[in-house]
Amino acid sequence: MKVAYHSPLPPERSGIADYSALLLPELRRHVEVEVARGGRRRAPRGTDVALYHVGNDPEAHGWILEALRRRPGVVVLHEYVLHHLVAGMTLARRDVAQYLAAMEREAGLPGRLLALGVVDGCIPPLWETRPEDFALAGIVLDAATGLIVHSRYVEERAREAGYEGPVWRIPHPAWPRPDVGAGAPVEGDPVIACLGHLNPSKRVPQLLEAFARVREARPQARLVLAGAVAPRLDLDARLRRLGLDGDPSVVREGYVDEARLWQLLDACDVCVSLRSPTMGETSGIALRALSLGRPLVVSDVGWFAELPDEAALKVRPGEREVEELAAALDRLAASPEERARMGEAARAHAEREHALPRVAELYAAALEEAAGGRAVADAVLAEVAGAAAEVGIEPGSAEAAELGARVREARIGD
Amino acid sequence: MRVAVCSPQVPFARGGAEFLAERLTQELRELGHDADLVTVPFKWYPGTRVLSQALLWRLLDLDEADGRPIDLVVGTKFPSYVVRHPNKVVWLVHQFRQAYELDRTELGQFGDAPEDRATRRAIHRLDRQALGEARRLFAISSNVAGRLRRTTELDAEVLLPPPQELPYRCETYGDFVLSVNRLDRAKRIDLLLEAAAAREALRCVIVGDGPDRERLEGIARAHGLDGRVRFAGRVDEAELASLYGRCLAVFYAPYDEDFGIVPYEAFMAEKPVITTHDAGGPLDVVADRRTGLVCEPRAEAVAEACAYLLAHPDEARAWGSAGREVAQRLSWRDAAERIVDAGSGA
Repeated sequence: MKVAYHSPLPPERSGIADYSALLLPELRRHVEVEVARGGRRRAPRGTDVALYHVGNDPEAHGWILEALRRRPGVVVLHEYVLHHLVAGMTLARRDVAQYLAAMEREAGLPGRLLALGVVDGCIPPLWETRPEDFALAGIVLDAATGLIVHSRYVEERAREAGYEGPVWRIPHPAWPRPDVGAGAPVEGDPVIACLGHLNPSKRVPQLLEAFARVREARPQARLVLAGAVAPRLDLDARLRRLGLDGDPSVVREGYVDEARLWQLLDACDVCVSLRSPTMGETSGIALRALSLGRPLVVSDVGWFAELPDEAALKVRPGEREVEELAAALDRLAASPEERARMGEAARAHAEREHALPRVAELYAAALEEAAGGRAVADAVLAEVAGAAAEVGIEPGSAEAAELGARVREARIGD
Repeated sequence: MRVAVCSPQVPFARGGAEFLAERLTQELRELGHDADLVTVPFKWYPGTRVLSQALLWRLLDLDEADGRPIDLVVGTKFPSYVVRHPNKVVWLVHQFRQAYELDRTELGQFGDAPEDRATRRAIHRLDRQALGEARRLFAISSNVAGRLRRTTELDAEVLLPPPQELPYRCETYGDFVLSVNRLDRAKRIDLLLEAAAAREALRCVIVGDGPDRERLEGIARAHGLDGRVRFAGRVDEAELASLYGRCLAVFYAPYDEDFGIVPYEAFMAEKPVITTHDAGGPLDVVADRRTGLVCEPRAEAVAEACAYLLAHPDEARAWGSAGREVAQRLSWRDAAERIVDAGSGA
């Protein structure tokens, strides 16, 4: 069986390119894979099923969405909110009609009117202000013969949007733990890390406030902030207001490469990975922390909320967020034993759920079911229906309903 | 308690799984339960037939029989455990191995076409559903339990089935190595023949019949083993017990076997067992230099093991005797009670 594989790949720099680079060698142990060349809209010939990795970046995924619309197939929905992708493929190409149609499909006439407001410049772009309210995933769901998702959250949102095809929930694979090596040390008790692109949706303002409270009682605590800073975050001003500007308790590094990222995660006692609003995404940083056996503090939303309680403390976004976050950090700071216990649970969870061979096997199962499942179900059902008809069971009868129920229980045709 | 023991039946074929289901039913009756054996013919080819035949089990109504409720159903071998019942216990003999570890081997059934691949996956889904709804899962060996864990992420307790009750005895430690097995390639009886070719002192008796017999006899002829290797074919219980009683040791080295009753039979006759590291189920009881010899799956290694026992009959006796203690620990009474306890929520 042969799969046409559509995804951004290195040297492109994106989480999905890294994901595919990790997955592909292991997937090839199960199925034959032909990687579609980037930018090509037509799927490779002679393949039994096409797979499309879809994310929200129009530069990286525009060609993939176009290929999907030419040849429907299995979509890996890395995040549910695709407003930015759709806007990039419509408005950015002066295709206003398609954008209006997508918004109307999503939210009816009010959606269309809002879209007109955006087009006319009356309201700011929705993909920047309210993307979570207008996911615009319909354009992908319409063409998907099956969905691969990483969380129950995304599966539920797809179902709420009316998607009726098969959905396979497959965990994001964990990166193998690298040889971390020695880097610039970070001393502290405890060391709390928040890594990756720093922006308001990662709840950095709330984290800073919570850390300022923790530090009052625990002067040895350190907060490592490493990653590019979004301009609208205004990090320096926030640190000044909290009296953390130039304070040794906040350790700042800019964009860090993969090696340094692992070093910092290895050096930390607690990894903070917050999100609100969520776009239905997973967090590569949180996954790396799980692999290293670091306890997590996460937002109680989306994929993050589905992490095991034994490995992650969860904080609800909203009014009491800073208070809850400070309490969680303080609790972990106070107890090395609890950190060790949670770290062990994190490592076990990564090994059990996110192991690369397991993920590749689940992918192979999904792709094989997508390619041949319908034909198999049809053959079995035809045989059952034929036998039923021969003994006089009429379609629509109670006996036929009973047969149908038993077939469903056996998960034939799922 | 009213218990239905479920077992598929391949018409005109009979093996260990059938014996297990019948013997369990008998033991349940002896314990005072109202037990009966339920069988449905099974054919697993071509194409998707394996699924439609499995579905037959799902269509059975075993909630009650003749107006009286059935309290417990016991599934055994695929697809009997697909049966639907609120109180189902499974004593897993094996899953449909062609969809698992035999896939893409010469013993497999499914090709690379999308329909074949999807049929295999549908069997996986069916297994997860049918086995997942059981109140308790037992497996006949660590090997079967391990496979279940790897393929469905379900856990089963190992419950080893005892051997059949032949008039086992130890008469002597003779000059021949005995093989008791169906003659097919997976049983690797050619390893023993090649070993005999390498050691002139080695004599063998091969009990059993099967599709590989002609090839095996050809190997024996090619090596000039006439007179040292005897193909006994199928033998009756009395002769089998006699052969066990007179042999030096028993060779049993199938590839990745689910369970393997032969080592237990050998032990009941106080005979050590020669097996290989990759034999699967037999390794639950054949411990190297304690109840037999465990060697590499190579003819030369098998030859060395046989030669060692020929040269050391005292160790053959000691290991056979230790094996008997292992085999005697298994009892049908205990197995039946554990299954009933599981079905009673104990």
